[in-house]
Amino acid sequence: MWGTEWPRFEVIKQDTQHSPPQMVGSVHAADPEHALLVARHVFVRRPAAYALFVAPAEAFFHVSQEGLKDLAPRREGGPEEAYWVFAKRSHRRSMVYGDLVGRFLAQGPEDAIAQALLQAQGVAFWAVPERLVVGTEPTEEVVESWFAPAKDKRYRLQSYYGLITAKGVEDA
Amino acid sequence: MLDPYLKEALVARLTAWADDEVVLAQRLSEWVGHAPILEEDIAIANLAQDELGHAKVWLELRQELDGSDPDHLVFFRDPLEYQNAVLVELPKGDWAFTMVRQYLFDAYENLWLKEAAQSAYPPLAEAAGRILKEEKFHLRHSSLWLERLGQGTEESHRRAQEALDTLFPYVRQLFQLLPTDEALVEAGILPDLRALEAPYLEEVEARLERVGLRPPQGGYVPKSRQEHTEYLWSLLAEMQSVARWDPEAKAW
Amino acid sequence: MVKLRIGYPEDPDYGERLAEFEARIARGEKIEPGDWMPAEYRRQLIRMISQHAHSEWVGMLPEGAWIPRAPSLRRKLILLAKVQDEAGHGQYLYHAAETLGITREEMVAALLSGKAKYSNIFNYPTLTWADVGIIGWLVDGMAIKNQTMLAQCSYGPYSRAMVRICAEETFHHKQGKEAVLLYAKGSRKQRQMVQDALNRWWWPTLMMAGPHDTDSPHTPLLLRWGIKTKTNDQVRQEFLNEHVPELLEAGLRIPDPHLRYDEKTGNWIHGPIPWDEFWKVINGEGPMNRQRLLARRRAHEEGRWVREALEAYAQRQLAQAAD
Ligand SMILES: [Fe+2]
Ligand SMILES: [Fe+2]
Ligand SMILES: [Fe+2]
Repeated sequence: MWGTEWPRFEVIKQDTQHSPPQMVGSVHAADPEHALLVARHVFVRRPAAYALFVAPAEAFFHVSQEGLKDLAPRREGGPEEAYWVFAKRSHRRSMVYGDLVGRFLAQGPEDAIAQALLQAQGVAFWAVPERLVVGTEPTEEVVESWFAPAKDKRYRLQSYYGLITAKGVEDA
Repeated sequence: MLDPYLKEALVARLTAWADDEVVLAQRLSEWVGHAPILEEDIAIANLAQDELGHAKVWLELRQELDGSDPDHLVFFRDPLEYQNAVLVELPKGDWAFTMVRQYLFDAYENLWLKEAAQSAYPPLAEAAGRILKEEKFHLRHSSLWLERLGQGTEESHRRAQEALDTLFPYVRQLFQLLPTDEALVEAGILPDLRALEAPYLEEVEARLERVGLRPPQGGYVPKSRQEHTEYLWSLLAEMQSVARWDPEAKAW
Repeated sequence: MVKLRIGYPEDPDYGERLAEFEARIARGEKIEPGDWMPAEYRRQLIRMISQHAHSEWVGMLPEGAWIPRAPSLRRKLILLAKVQDEAGHGQYLYHAAETLGITREEMVAALLSGKAKYSNIFNYPTLTWADVGIIGWLVDGMAIKNQTMLAQCSYGPYSRAMVRICAEETFHHKQGKEAVLLYAKGSRKQRQMVQDALNRWWWPTLMMAGPHDTDSPHTPLLLRWGIKTKTNDQVRQEFLNEHVPELLEAGLRIPDPHLRYDEKTGNWIHGPIPWDEFWKVINGEGPMNRQRLLARRRAHEEGRWVREALEAYAQRQLAQAAD
């Protein structure tokens, strides 16, 4: 039994065609297809999004800055598979997520992260097998029906209200 | 420019669509804060906003035609003047009832909006095309639920089947023409809804059967959009209560 | 899954680790899941974040009751989106707490059993439509002061949730202010209604910031570890200084006969806060405590068969995939 909350899926959101997919949070859902759908409801209430991906939270291997020095990638000539590796690049600012570094053929998540480290600095890394990642299709139709409608919901944006003052109400 | 008869007919048609959306949104919004899990609470609030947004689009198209105020139409019209289908006014029921109704309505909207996007009246064609995009996502969402409730547990199957038994006869009302619709169809402004009924039933029945649900035979079908149930009065009474409470208020 | 590294005072290297940890916070670095942290840091964060998440979730109820009665299409859309955002905030915050190794199920169970606390403000009833405006402007206004402070929090996931939440709350604040200012200059009944709402919500709003600093035992530690960056009284003061002049300008009366402006400090000084009531409400004796909990429990119970159905469906899919 899963109990009352269903399993957790990490949600990865790509804002535009040319921005990196980022780990923005998670949803509780029953299966990957359901997770992807509720991820759209939860994370794309406001613009903008180009693509969404989900993968089971338990499938992520994670290593923090402190753990990096103990990272022991095994390369024993075993079978390889593709991993997606994410890195949080800095500790400084508030809004830094895990950004996708890339896709690596590796013998395990440690190996994938070790490869990613050759390309990217970071203070925390995540790796997840690509076969467990489910995402939206990068077609015009999906973008139009899943993501574009948020643009019309302008009342959700603070800019819609402008400057509000008692004087302004009197003049109106 | 539309000739006066067509204009009046289109006003009536837009109002019927808007009333469907307003009343459905009202039922959906009753779930907000009370859904089975947090994520679905967020989802159902989206559905309610989307459907209400569609009502606004239809009423604004009507406003362009006859200058009527959308809020006045929604908040000051009496139950006997509402033109919504019975399907959308039935009480929200359980989650199965809500999701089965949503599926049946979303499938209908996907079908006629696709046709209406070809309307000879450009503002309608444009609006239908825009709303259709959102409705495609709705249909994904409600089909997903239909499948999971139909094939989940014995209990979910029983509840979904019961909901379907109640709701299914009412979908046929959605394909009836208003007395003035014929002229719109002839002018190419409105798709012939009667012709969409068979493809709708074919598509929906096939899907229902795939997920292990049985479309019921027979049942009562309302004969016009004048017909309602006793639930509409209290739905509107609550919805209009604040707006009508202070007739002197100029703005909300 | 994240492996947590938690330090206890009895660990041999605790002192050294704690010094490093505090130095990181002093440098303005974010602590992330998997980084070493004192057990007490984790405990305080779980307490605060889960309470905060519960508040957002329960907070849907008083305003949600007015969605079906909103008096215009625009107001209905706005309120739907606003209450939906509160669910979203709860969702982000539960996620932030989950990074500390507690499950959402455990947190929800604590809420439903009545063990967990949530913000007192949601134990008051919403009596008229104007309450929606006042809640948006003042209650969310106070929440924003608190949340802007928490966006600086040393714990990465909490701080990120807060940044996102603050951006959304600004919309809540503005829509509430817009409505209140309109009603304050509106018809006779609108003016009465909005003044009545202000009368009822004023003191509970001021109490939202929490007890005075002198009665707030956790504060020094929370400040030292960068969980909070301002005290309760500082947050309350910022709220007053922003909102009092605007309420007065709108022609509303603030129900505090002792309220005064202090020229020297530039602060608005409030009269004595009815703390007796605060402690009563927090301990379950508020006007709506039982109703709020019952509503959450009912939704949970009525949703049980739904959650079970999806689980059964998913298990069957998994079993089929394994074959
Ligand atoms: Fe829909
Ligand atoms: Fe919030
Ligand atoms: Fe808010």
